[in-house]
Amino acid sequence: MEQVKHVVLMAGAVVLVLLLFAALVRAVLGPRFTDRIIAINVVNTIVVAIITLLSVYLEEDFLVDVALVYALLSFLTVVVLSRMVTFRQKRRKLKSGERSERHGT
Amino acid sequence: MVHNIVTTLGLAFFLFGLFVFFTAVLGLFHFDYVLNRMHAAAVGDALGIFCILIGLILFHGWSLSAAKTLLILVFLWLTSPVASHLIAEMEIWTISDIHSECREERR
Repeated sequence: MEQVKHVVLMAGAVVLVLLLFAALVRAVLGPRFTDRIIAINVVNTIVVAIITLLSVYLEEDFLVDVALVYALLSFLTVVVLSRMVTFRQKRRKLKSGERSERHGT
Repeated sequence: MVHNIVTTLGLAFFLFGLFVFFTAVLGLFHFDYVLNRMHAAAVGDALGIFCILIGLILFHGWSLSAAKTLLILVFLWLTSPVASHLIAEMEIWTISDIHSECREERR
């Protein structure tokens, strides 16, 4: 049973890495930047799964902590990036709206 | 005996999680617009990570690592909808003409 478990874990890690590369290809191909951010989000989720899998495979407990911190950082990346872009875009649209109103009157 | 049953259950969860991740990445390639792709990605974020981490918790057994893995699962489940919402908001604000991408259904 242990033998089967180790083989399946190794095969699962290989499959997850292949899926990670596929998502990375999607991030390179994506026509808009939001496509890329979604693909990177999927990559981050897969990396968390791989690190947790390694903690079982190598029987190292500290890798679970690494995965936890990685999940925190990936969430922080998406939040900071999207808030920044959204605020800049809102400000730009408000400014251009004021300008067009001034031209209209 | 119990150990074998738990390991088999963990293997089943783990393999199903791999299948769900495969489906998510396939959907990422299949759909052609951001909001549709987000749906495919959310499948992997919610169900895929759930199945894989539950399988790994069963492999860990009754220990502190299993509790931390459960913490990762709870954290990802709490934050993934927030991240999806923020990305969708960014998409709506930055695209020039949303109505050309999302047509309203008329009846």
